[in-house]
Amino acid sequence: MDLAWYALLGLFFGAYLVLAGYDYGVGLLLARGGGPAGRRAALTALGPFFLGNEVWLVAAVGILFGAFPVLEGELLSGCYPAVAGALAGVVLVTAGVQLRSRPTDERIRERWDRVVVVGSVLAALGWGVLLATLLQGVPRHADGHVAGVSHLVTPFAATAGLAMVALVAVHGATFLTLRLPAADAAVVGRSARRLVPVALIAVAVATVVGVLSDRVRDAVQRPAVAVLLPVLLAAALFAARTALARRRPGWALVATGAALALPVALVGAALWPYVLVSTTDSGASLTVADAAASAPTLRLLGWVALPLLPALLGFQAMCWWVFRGRTDGRAPVYW
Amino acid sequence: MDTLLLARLQFATTTSIHFLFVVVTLGLVTLLVVMQTAWVLTGNPAWERLTRYWGQLYVINYVLGIATGIVMEFQFGLNWSGLSRYVGNVFGAPLAIETLVAFFLESTFLGMWIFGWHRLGKGVHLALLWGVAITAYASAFWIMVANSWLQHPVGYEVRDGIAHLTDFGALLSNPSLGMAFGHVVSAALLVGGMLMAAVSAWHLIRRTPDFALFRTSLRIGLVTAALAITLVQGFGFAQFGPVGEVQPTKFGQGPEAQALITEWTTRFGPGDYTPPVLASVGLGFMILIGLTLGCVWLLLPLLFRDWIIRLRFPLWLVLLALPLPFVAVILGWIAREVGRQPWVAYGLLPTEQAVSPVGAPVMLASLIGFSLLLGTLAVTNWVLLARHATRGAVDPPLGRPPAPPNEPAQPEPALA
Repeated sequence: MDLAWYALLGLFFGAYLVLAGYDYGVGLLLARGGGPAGRRAALTALGPFFLGNEVWLVAAVGILFGAFPVLEGELLSGCYPAVAGALAGVVLVTAGVQLRSRPTDERIRERWDRVVVVGSVLAALGWGVLLATLLQGVPRHADGHVAGVSHLVTPFAATAGLAMVALVAVHGATFLTLRLPAADAAVVGRSARRLVPVALIAVAVATVVGVLSDRVRDAVQRPAVAVLLPVLLAAALFAARTALARRRPGWALVATGAALALPVALVGAALWPYVLVSTTDSGASLTVADAAASAPTLRLLGWVALPLLPALLGFQAMCWWVFRGRTDGRAPVYW
Repeated sequence: MDTLLLARLQFATTTSIHFLFVVVTLGLVTLLVVMQTAWVLTGNPAWERLTRYWGQLYVINYVLGIATGIVMEFQFGLNWSGLSRYVGNVFGAPLAIETLVAFFLESTFLGMWIFGWHRLGKGVHLALLWGVAITAYASAFWIMVANSWLQHPVGYEVRDGIAHLTDFGALLSNPSLGMAFGHVVSAALLVGGMLMAAVSAWHLIRRTPDFALFRTSLRIGLVTAALAITLVQGFGFAQFGPVGEVQPTKFGQGPEAQALITEWTTRFGPGDYTPPVLASVGLGFMILIGLTLGCVWLLLPLLFRDWIIRLRFPLWLVLLALPLPFVAVILGWIAREVGRQPWVAYGLLPTEQAVSPVGAPVMLASLIGFSLLLGTLAVTNWVLLARHATRGAVDPPLGRPPAPPNEPAQPEPALA
């Protein structure tokens, strides 16, 4: 039961990173110029999916609160600056994308677009740092609380945050390659291919810094998994580059999406059976089972979630299906 | 400053901003459902124009509802980790259900509704709006279930200092839930109706084009507001009974309150167990506003032969009254939330035990940062709303027909 809920939590947070990841990637790429028309075209490509992507985060935190209340409190308050930064980024992107086209003045729209760029960077950095913090352990004391904020400031957290920004950028560029009209897609496809090596280097640096970090080595319970998954991540990026070169943007998006979901799987699997590993007191580490809500709560939520999940996935799939294909002159424009 | 005060200030700020936007969301979506359904049933293009104009304002307003809502959700973990630690087994369940059952679907449907004009069949497009509305009400319901549990904890037992769920049904039949849910929902309808009437009144005063459109929405708005204010008053006064029973300290110092305070003093140690005066002051003003707004019934006879428009001064009254329902919902919220202090879960978990053990500087930075961020966004959003409201109903971006086709209609497969 605990494991099922833990997997579901990972599924929702992973799906959030994959789906909202291309929102943030497209947001980042607004900074590369392209003029008002280009930026509007990029946001039109996001269009109908944007609202349905961010809800995965809200649902993930809902599951976190309902099924893992102790983890929710300790994780969020114990990693305050990372969570608050990511949250500010999420808010900026949400408001920026939806409001940027309401003023008609292009200069004001450009200012909103800068807000979206900043928000996208913050969100990607924040989630990267949060995942890294889990992997390097937290100073959880015997009273059950995580103390201080300085444990967030490590080279590993910084490199992991930057790697997340790079991954998101590749993912966003790949999404645009799939969605923009064929003529524009060729241009953005080239930038996507150029971004892949950048992401590879960023991931490699984060992996090396992680392997060299005592805290990460101490916290990780399954070193084999912790080494295997970054390798898979690199393989996904190589696959994305090949698919982009062969003009298969759909498969490339699948590959970059896998690259964004793998860090979540990595954290979950490498720390198992723990979820918060204490760096100060090994007895204070929190296992998934201890973090979970008591059985009646999980049973109740199970009865709610079981019939609901097909509906949630079905309506999201309906959205992807209805608005599939490249944007063209007839695509609805709103953002 | 201590962390507790900072965390409470942050909660009050975020919740208040959130509430100002979600009442409009809930009220307007109900009226949009009526208008779009009328359009689909009658085929009259006037209903389509109404749906697009008010839908545009609804969608702009929705942005801040989400933005502040996400901050609210995270705030429980960031600032109130004691809440999840001690009562998360019970309190977390309705919140989790809300995100899955309601919000997830609401936003997914809304995205398809915004981009679905001219792309989806009329029936499917209407069904999406119905979906948005139903999930919005479901969202309000589950949030009120969670909040009512904090007002009056039921269906749990404490083992090793931690509350465990024993009877979920008790959460749904909580005496502090039913009337409060009715009160909040009808308050949202009141706000939606008043907003619609006031914006229409502005256009009719300025004699902008589209007389017929704004005449219709003035009438819809006023009738909705009149029906809603009666429900608000009914559900409001009906709450005094159950709330007085389950929260004797909320409204005064009767013998029951004294007995409860004595009991708490023996169980939790001596302390100040009376809520701040702010709560009852807020309640008093809210009731005054509620009674004043009841006068909207006096305007209804003037709808006959458009006397309300011809006399003009009633339009001014409607326009100037617009802030009142917003002030009232905030005061009502203060009465409910501040009135349960010093408890976060009444009689079970003191507020000071629920606050996260983070340092005051971090909490202060968070308070200032998020208040500035959300405050700026809220003001910007209201300016945009006002601009779009005054711009009139000539071709709003929402639902604008696309350019004529010049590309093949069949999309290429994504995974070719």
